[in-house]
Parts: sequence; structure tokens; C-alpha cells
Amino acid sequence: MIVCREIKKVFSMGAATLEALRGVDIEVKAGEFISIMGPSGSGKSTLMNIIGCLDTPTSGTYALDGREVAGMSFDQLAEVRNRKIGFVFQNFNLLPYATAYENIELPMLFNGKSARQRRQRVEDLLKQVGLLEWRQHRPSELSGGQQQRIAIARALANDPAIILADEPTGNLDSGSGEEIMAIFSGLWRQGRTMIMVTHDTKVAAHSQRAVNLLDGRVIS
Amino acid sequence: MALKLLPLYLNEFKKRRKKTALITFAIAWGSLSILLLMSFGRGLTTQFRISFRGLGDNLVMLSGGQSSMIHQGLPKGRRLRLFAADVALLRETIPEIEFICAESYNNETVSANGKETNRNVHGVGPLFDVMRTQVPRAGGRFLNDDDERHSRRVAFLGWKVAENLFAAGEAVGKTIRINRTPFTVVGVLKEKMQDSMYQGPDAEQVYIPFATYAQVNSQPYVDRIHIQPRSREVSLLVEERTRSVLGRRYRFDPADKYALNVWNTIKDAAEVGKIFSGIEIFLTLIGALTLLIAAVGVTNLMYALAKERTREIGIKLAMGARRRHIVAQFVIETAFIFLKGTLWGVLLAFNIVSLVRTIPLNYDNFGIESYLTRPVFSFDILLVFLAIMGGLVFLAGIFPAVRASRLNPVEALRYE
Repeated sequence: MIVCREIKKVFSMGAATLEALRGVDIEVKAGEFISIMGPSGSGKSTLMNIIGCLDTPTSGTYALDGREVAGMSFDQLAEVRNRKIGFVFQNFNLLPYATAYENIELPMLFNGKSARQRRQRVEDLLKQVGLLEWRQHRPSELSGGQQQRIAIARALANDPAIILADEPTGNLDSGSGEEIMAIFSGLWRQGRTMIMVTHDTKVAAHSQRAVNLLDGRVIS
Repeated sequence: MALKLLPLYLNEFKKRRKKTALITFAIAWGSLSILLLMSFGRGLTTQFRISFRGLGDNLVMLSGGQSSMIHQGLPKGRRLRLFAADVALLRETIPEIEFICAESYNNETVSANGKETNRNVHGVGPLFDVMRTQVPRAGGRFLNDDDERHSRRVAFLGWKVAENLFAAGEAVGKTIRINRTPFTVVGVLKEKMQDSMYQGPDAEQVYIPFATYAQVNSQPYVDRIHIQPRSREVSLLVEERTRSVLGRRYRFDPADKYALNVWNTIKDAAEVGKIFSGIEIFLTLIGALTLLIAAVGVTNLMYALAKERTREIGIKLAMGARRRHIVAQFVIETAFIFLKGTLWGVLLAFNIVSLVRTIPLNYDNFGIESYLTRPVFSFDILLVFLAIMGGLVFLAGIFPAVRASRLNPVEALRYE
């Protein structure tokens, strides 16, 4: 499903250059649940952004579902993000002025779903994460755990094959964190491909295998 | 495609209402200033044209002068007079003349109601009212062809004469005496603005039929001949031909500018009209430049607002928003803010203009206020304004939109 070969990413800030990734090979099969681990500065977030099509590698190849991502245009990448990938962020990244309902609806606004389809899907997802009665509340009125559940529902809106989670439990207490991981395990069992960035071994334990990064290289 | 995104955009816009209020106010203020400048500029021009028409619209006026060139052996310094027969001569020889009529006047004692006053009494031919903008008040009429044909003893009064003799009472139908000869008042001049005149304002004159005037006065010549050319374009031609026809008759050189006094209001109007158009353009320019400064401020504010929401743009990009989704939002928002501000500005300007126009004109003394209290808010002013505004919307909306469309999703998400 995901095949990365010799991925390099170089950031240049003026004269200085920073090699965030120095040739990463990684393969993720459909239905796998992997963790990307490593200390801060190891390049795990950069790798995550590239896999999530938020960023493109400086060199190397990345094939998603057999399609090469490197040459895609801005809008083509947007379409890939919209249909194939669901994002869950550490700080939730919900739109602050929008209700829970509107936040979940957001990804569906960028493709051709009808209003009826959207309403049906949002209600299903709200039930799935157990927050149906909170649908008219704004993020600021929800707890961290609730916000992350809304964010997961949003990630699932277009029924993507891949869920990318960047430190999904990082801003949560352990109880909420457990809830979130339980939902992730459930999603994996439904057959979704799960890729999670974390530095917490207890969280990583939910995954099938861990990929360890250090200084922009895979070490195990 | 943007249609289903509209609720989202609207939602965000409502959230920002407080932040955009200042921008809306700035636009409303700028709109108000430019609209008022344009309206008052137009009002000035319009009032000038109206008061110029108070004397007459499209008029060439002749009166006799004194020759200043030796011509066909005749000396200079000869006094030249016009006669009633010249009217017929000019009408027959110059086809470009639409209307022509003679006028003579003399200062007479006019009395009624036990009051007595000295006024210029004018004998005027038919069509004088058309050429010299003599509109009667309701209930009266101007002198007509029958009055002329039968040399009736009827008079048409300037409104000040009427007020002077009859106070607030009705003058029409009453009898006045001009040098003890009774005349029936058939009409009173309606109030008008008049900025140029030869024997004082029309408000203070008394008009009687030319034929009647000829009977009561033994003056053999006429004081003035009024000519209305068929169009403004031929006014100079008519002036030139008049000089040559009358020059042949009275034996003066057509090039002799002093032999015949010619007052060409069309020429005057064109000259002064240029000045007023200049003022109008100048005021519009000032308004546009003021608005431009406001627009720079607005652009800055819009840009700051756009920066604030970088992270939200990042979220949308991560969720699969295309470039056009992001740009459309900025364009729609900018347009909406401008629409709101513009609407307020237009409404305010319209109301101020309407209010100012209710200030009554003082017809006894045309001061500067009679030019300034009649601003005009017309459709073409609105169009010019909207065109300028459209340019500014583009200017203010383009920078934030371009920046937003160039955002990198990763950097946008990281933006604090």
C-alpha cells in the first residue's frame, strides 16, 4: 500500500540546510498498524507529513496504492489527502468557530457528497464516537478526549483507507488516551491501515510493529 | 462548487464580525466621502447650469453698438440701433434661426393697491417666454400671440413685483397701472435661479406685449433682439451671419466687434461649463485618492486578518481543500465586507444628499448656498463610484488571497 524508497528531505533556511530525512525506506501493507518512533528531531514528523501527502520529498520515491506521489500537483495531493487519508493531530486541529457537526462535515465539503449523504455520514460517525448529543457544541466546550474523538470522526468522514495519527494521545490524560487507543484498535480491526507517530512505548504497544527513526534514518 | 461551502464561509465570517467591523467602517466612511464629493460637485455644476438657464437657454442676444471701423467711406463712432423690421429680416435670411423676438424696455411707474413703484417695463414679442425661461406660477400664464395681435393691455409680473404690489395676495386678474394706463395681470413669474441679467433680475421686471409697448411708448427702435439658434453647434454661425446681414443693412464692417453687441450665452456656457466640469473631475479625483488611502489601510487589515487564520487554512488543506476553495473564501469575504461597507456608505450619502436638498432656496439672494445645497446623487455617479470600488476590492482582496493560496500545508499547520 505504501512504498517509500530512499526518501530524503532537506530543509534550507537561508544558507543553512537541515537534512531531516537521509534516505528512508519504509513499506506499509494494507491493514497494518505501525508506529513510527524516535526522539524529537529524528524526522518522524517529517516522514509522517510526506506519507500524508502534506509535503513532498526532496528525493526518493513514494508510491501510494501504486501511484507515484512525487510528481503530483498541489490540487492532486489535496485530492489524495481528501479521499485516502484521515489525519488525527496531537492538538486536535479542529476549527474553533465550527460545531462538532460542522468539523466532521468539513472533509466532505471538499468533494462531491450531497447534503443528505453528508448529514447521514456525520450522524453515523457521531454515534460511532459516542458524541451525538454534543453535535452542536464548539471545540472549546468539549474536553480534550471529546475533541480528539471528534477529530477521529472527521478523519473518517470520507472513509479513507489510511489513518495517520501524530501523537494522538500527547495532549490527553491517560484515561482519555486509553479511550482513543481503543477506538484506533477498533478501526484497525475494521481493516484500516493505521500509521501512528509516538514516542510513548505504551501507546506504541497497541500497534503490530514499530519503525524506529534516529537522525533521519530507520534504525530498526 | 463553492455553493455548499458558503455556510462554512458565512460561519467564519460571522465569527470575525467584530474584527471586520473596523474595516467595514473604514470602507463606509471612504464611500461616504467620495459620494458626497461627487454629489456636491455635480450639484454645483447642475445649479450653475440651472441658474445660467435662468436668463435663457441657448441664446444669442443682440443690441445696437457704436461702429469702431471706417467702412464704405463712413466714419467710425456711429451709433447703431436695431429696429423691429430687423427681426423679420434676420428670420428670412438666416435659416439656422429657430426663434427670434424683439424686446424694448423703459423705466415706468407701476402702481396698484395704492402702492407705487418704479420698474422696468418690457415690451416683448411672442416666444420670449420660451427663450428667456419665463415660467408662470400656477394659475397664470405668459403673454400669448392673441395679446400681441390685439395689443392687449395685459402684463406679466416678476414675482418680486407681484409681492411688492399685492403682498401675499393673488395678483392674477387684478389691475395694475403703468403710467396711469390700466393693465390686467395675466401671470406671475415662478421663482427661478438666475445668475446673469441685463436689466436686473427677471423677478423685478414687468412684461407687456411688444405691440402694446409700441403703442404706449414712442420709441422707434428696439433695445434687444433675442435669437435662439436651431442648435448649439450653429450658434457661432448665426452670430457671424447676423453681423453680415445687419452689416449690409446698416453699413458696418462685419468684423467690427463694437458695431453690434452680441451676447452669446452658448459660448459663455461652454466656457464656464469647462471650469465646472474641471471642478467636478477634481473633486472626484480627491475622493478617489482619499478612498485609495483608505484601501491601503483596508488591505493591511485584511492581510493581518488573513495571517491570523493561517492555521485554519492549514487544517482545511490537510482535509483536502483545493487552492480554489481557499482563494474563493478570501475573494467572497473581501467582496462581502466591501459590499457591506459600500452599502452603508451609499445609504448614508443618499440620505445626507436628500436631507441637504430639503434646505429651501432663498430666491431673493442667491448666495453660495444656492449652489451648495442642491447636491445631485445620480445613477452615473453611482456607476463611477462602483467602478472605483470594484478596483479597490480587487486590490484589497488580491494580496491575502495570493498569500493564502501559496501556503504550504505543513507550515500552515505549524503556524502559531
